Amino acid sequence: MPFTDIAVAIQISFTYFTIIYLTGLGGLFSERSGIVNIGLEGLMIIGTVTGAFGARYFTDTLELGQPWGPLLGLLFGALCGLLFAGVHAVATVSFRVDHIVSGVVINLVALGLARFLSQAFFGQSTQSDPGGPHLASMNVPLLSSLPGGLGRAFSDLSPFVLVAAVMVLPVWYALNRLRWGLRLRSCGENPEASRSLGIRVSLYRYQGVLISGAFAGASGAFLASEVIGNWREGQTLGLGFISLAALIISNWNPIRLMFFAWLFGFATAIPLRLNDAPVINLLPPQFIRMIPYVVTIVAIAGFVGKVRPPAAAGKAYEGGGSL
Amino acid sequence: MAVEGTVAPVPATRVRSDRLERIVGQGLALLLSMLIALGLGSILIVGFGENPAEVYSKIFKGSLGTADGLGYVFAIATPLIFSALAVAVCFKGGMFNIGVEGQYIVGMVTAAWAALSLDFLPAVLLVPAIMIAALLGGMAWAAIAGVLKVKTGAHEVVTTIMLNQIAISLLAWAINYPLKFKEAPPGQNVDLRTDLFPDEAFVGDIGQYFGVTPGAHLSWLLFVAIAAAIIVWFLLRRTRLGYEARAVGSSPGTARAGGISIGGTQLRLFLISGALAGMVGMQQLIADKGYLGAAYVTYLGFTGIAVAFLGQNNPIGIIFAAILWGILSRGEVALQIGSEVPREFVIILQGILILSVVITYQVAKRRLLARQLQRAGAAGALEDSAALDESPGPSGPEDAGAEAFAPSDRREG
Amino acid sequence: MSSGDGAGGASSPPLVVLEAITKRFPGVLANDAVDLELRPGEVHALIGENGAGKSTLMRVLYGMYPAEEGRIFVRGEEVKIVSPRDAIALGIGMVHQHFVLVDPFTVTENIILGDEQEAVLDMSAAEGRVAELADSYGFQIDPGRPVEELSVGEEQRVEILKALYRGVEILILDEPTAVLTPGETKDLFGNLRKLREAGKSIVFISHKLDEVLEIADRITVLRRGQVVGETRPAETSKPRLAEMMVGRPVLFRLEKPEHEVGGTVLRVTDLAGEGKLNGVSLEVRGGEILGVAGVEGNGQRELAESLIGLRKPASGTVALDGKEITGHSVEDVRNAGVAYIPEDRHEGGLVLDMTIWENAVLGRHDDAEFSGGLGVLFIRKIKELAQRLVETFDVRTRSIEVTASTLSGGNQQKLILARELETDPKLLIAAQPTRGLDVGAIEFVWKEILEQKAAGRAVLLISAELDEIYALSDRIVTLYEGRITGEFPPDAAPEDVGVGMLGGAKREVG
Repeated sequence: MPFTDIAVAIQISFTYFTIIYLTGLGGLFSERSGIVNIGLEGLMIIGTVTGAFGARYFTDTLELGQPWGPLLGLLFGALCGLLFAGVHAVATVSFRVDHIVSGVVINLVALGLARFLSQAFFGQSTQSDPGGPHLASMNVPLLSSLPGGLGRAFSDLSPFVLVAAVMVLPVWYALNRLRWGLRLRSCGENPEASRSLGIRVSLYRYQGVLISGAFAGASGAFLASEVIGNWREGQTLGLGFISLAALIISNWNPIRLMFFAWLFGFATAIPLRLNDAPVINLLPPQFIRMIPYVVTIVAIAGFVGKVRPPAAAGKAYEGGGSL
Repeated sequence: MAVEGTVAPVPATRVRSDRLERIVGQGLALLLSMLIALGLGSILIVGFGENPAEVYSKIFKGSLGTADGLGYVFAIATPLIFSALAVAVCFKGGMFNIGVEGQYIVGMVTAAWAALSLDFLPAVLLVPAIMIAALLGGMAWAAIAGVLKVKTGAHEVVTTIMLNQIAISLLAWAINYPLKFKEAPPGQNVDLRTDLFPDEAFVGDIGQYFGVTPGAHLSWLLFVAIAAAIIVWFLLRRTRLGYEARAVGSSPGTARAGGISIGGTQLRLFLISGALAGMVGMQQLIADKGYLGAAYVTYLGFTGIAVAFLGQNNPIGIIFAAILWGILSRGEVALQIGSEVPREFVIILQGILILSVVITYQVAKRRLLARQLQRAGAAGALEDSAALDESPGPSGPEDAGAEAFAPSDRREG
Repeated sequence: MSSGDGAGGASSPPLVVLEAITKRFPGVLANDAVDLELRPGEVHALIGENGAGKSTLMRVLYGMYPAEEGRIFVRGEEVKIVSPRDAIALGIGMVHQHFVLVDPFTVTENIILGDEQEAVLDMSAAEGRVAELADSYGFQIDPGRPVEELSVGEEQRVEILKALYRGVEILILDEPTAVLTPGETKDLFGNLRKLREAGKSIVFISHKLDEVLEIADRITVLRRGQVVGETRPAETSKPRLAEMMVGRPVLFRLEKPEHEVGGTVLRVTDLAGEGKLNGVSLEVRGGEILGVAGVEGNGQRELAESLIGLRKPASGTVALDGKEITGHSVEDVRNAGVAYIPEDRHEGGLVLDMTIWENAVLGRHDDAEFSGGLGVLFIRKIKELAQRLVETFDVRTRSIEVTASTLSGGNQQKLILARELETDPKLLIAAQPTRGLDVGAIEFVWKEILEQKAAGRAVLLISAELDEIYALSDRIVTLYEGRITGEFPPDAAPEDVGVGMLGGAKREVG
């Protein structure tokens, strides 16, 4: 029944949406504060290994049951992502290292650090034992009972998917309705203006970068514990870069990011489930995987629409000084 | 920096002291960052209950203690030299090519195709043909980013990140479809890969002349890499293209007013960078494995960025930086036996090293700049106090990607 | 005009006292024990040449730079101001020369930023507050519009409102008229008078003497980081102020060498493009300096860049010695015999990170003399050239091996002149050639330009400084909104040229 396949593909796309959206939101906070963050992939990697460990530790070692064990695991991943993002913040904000350089270093170091931590956590450097604890999955009320097999799309989802989906509300509110958001955005657009009005640019940029680490870390933890069930080296599979792509093409806007995170998530899910569907079966799955990146290149080249990044993003700001 | 002495009758001592100061400054910064890395590493080692001096000496003995170890060091350094050179070439022109990763992946695909389809050629022709295919593959992939930058203003950092990911899928497709092995290799669960290349495709091993086991896969490619570094040095310092590249990289407005085509220069740099990137995959393809498989070595492009920083984007410095990287990487093996410190410690050490290098260079450069300004004298600097007010930012390579996500050239038409 | 009665008399206690402020930058003594007093309700002009230390002093007061020595008193009490936040708390606001506004934000968002009152924003209430504030001073502004849609004059109003919103009593304006059209300047002065009537004290940083004499109640002159005098408009005159600023009588006139005017070298016909040039026609002959006067932003940059080939004009023609070079590349235009002194030394003239010898060959590096067929540079030849240039033009440097960034501004300009004139050009395009230079360097550059005329070359001088236009030109044209609005002989009354600069009726040379 083709509907079932589509429904399952959609269900998988929700999972990818969660990863891409959370990581993308992380990038959004960082870049709207003026710090380009191409280290999202690395931050996610740290989230995967620490999240997998956290879920096991809180559930098995501390014997916290559902939902607290897995939930604390996710939070632990977020916390570790936040701490690791601190490296990027110190380098770019306090030492004014080029943001791209620092981001590349973050990605490189994350690989080694993940192995190192894995060795310490699990006694093996490239994976943890499969079947780790995760949040009890749930069916979305009403939607999961849609007819024609479509309900499958809304069944058996991690509750964290819903968390990601409603995350747009607090994020949008914080950025657009809070004094904090106005100030954070001003640091990304014109830090000189912010500083001349007594706003501590470096303080807001630190916050932006640290939040990005927390989001990317949570996203990585979700991937390892909730989706895969254990940590494996390389399991992020470039999802951090897809998130970056989604962020760019959505013009650094949390609402549009929601749409593109889902769209790119769906593109990622197609080869897993809809390989044999008509039309799609004409294309090798590898080409479908390229779609998000190709679309982003087309957008950034200005062939369709127009993306406009925060004006000061990426520029080392001299007046920022130290905290 | 210029190597020749001054032709003109100028007070050479001061000049030399300027240059000396810069070299010493860079050297000190490098030394300092190494000390910081070793120091932080020591804390970790102590945390594992071991003696830092012992662990470090184990690492260095592991890589430098035997001819074999050295062979491995140089074999590890070979692709990194190419990769770092590729990064440095673009840096000099004010661009950040973080697409070396994707460019060498595509280079491996085209090289594998050449190795398999030109198998009738003798070794003398086949090896160069494979390399040319790799060069062209890397160039083609770099050209996409280069053309998009020049024609549409799309920032190369964004496009190359995307192109890296596309390249990964492209390779996966290649070994799944057109280049997939025709005869399944023996064994049950073999990785997806191409057929084995003909024996003529292998580049000659040189380890045998130095008492290095064949397992190190030390090949003539090392000399090709060193030659490439010298050529790149000459290109940047002694040719019109290098001159134009540096002018474009430091001051595009001035370069344009001087009649230099910015787009043309950038595109040429990207092509050269892509060609160098194409060579990165050669070590594993035709010195080591002899086929292209799903389990290829990744991250050489990103590691090349780290090596380029370590070598200060100086082609000769890059050779030494790549060797240093190789020493650390090889030393990892020595930690496997009889040490509480896991071998992954070395990767952490490399990471800390890069971070401290990046930060100390940044700080050192500022210091140096301030001192230069001071020496420019009060009279001159007073006029430019407006410039001072904006406290001169660092210039040069490290800034290349600074405006990564703010393609202002496009926005302002 | 005389100052209003609202201006604080000598009797009222000073609002701000700066005492022996000293501020150093690496290698520069920007402020050397400067004393300054600001009284309630006065417009206090701070004047001096570029680099005299005016902006630095006020940035110290505004908390952007820490001073090494000196004390600051506000309302009689000694204060420590270490950040703009402190300054604002003391009622001190500053409007920078380059506006610091967040473009995508609305007027209101820009104004309340940093002083938002509550953690959760109530934007309509804030817009109400801003509108009320603007009304109370008679400022015209739409609080809901994004700043990126505003004109320069409106942006400046937002900047002033930003300070007023914070209840400042002391408003520092750094070169506020530099970016304004004459009309906008008039509006600004009107607004400043309203502020003075409301009891605010204003520091007006400028180097435009006419404006200072018009608006100021008191004038303090800075030179090389020191106060050289304090005066009132009624007690002084433009030449005396100028003399105080530069320390010696200004060279308002140099001896213009005579040279027979030759044939037409440059002929520009109906040049238009990018909305900034709307049909410029002019001619420059050999042995003649044509001065293009005009308020900045009226197409000067576009004109120079279109002539040298940096911009492609939409229509019109450019001919050099009768040969058309419209739309040719920079390289071709240069090879045809055009030399160019760009208005921005750092983004146009020199590559600061490269050595002096590398800069000396820029633009000629692909001549057969300096590089071979395979693209290899002839380093020795280039260094010989650089050494020659440095010697003939007296570029003060320790060596040609150091980077151009180590040169002073004047010496950087000398290096550019040396390089550009070395090629024996037919035409020299000099755009704002003395911007930011000290008097000594200005004199050098002027003499060098006059020498080009004496050598029979054609010179197109584009300058926003009327003094410079008068000192050098054989003929003057005025550029306004991308059009030539008048042509004048070198002895025309400045008032007449001024009318041309403001778009007045076209007049023919008598």
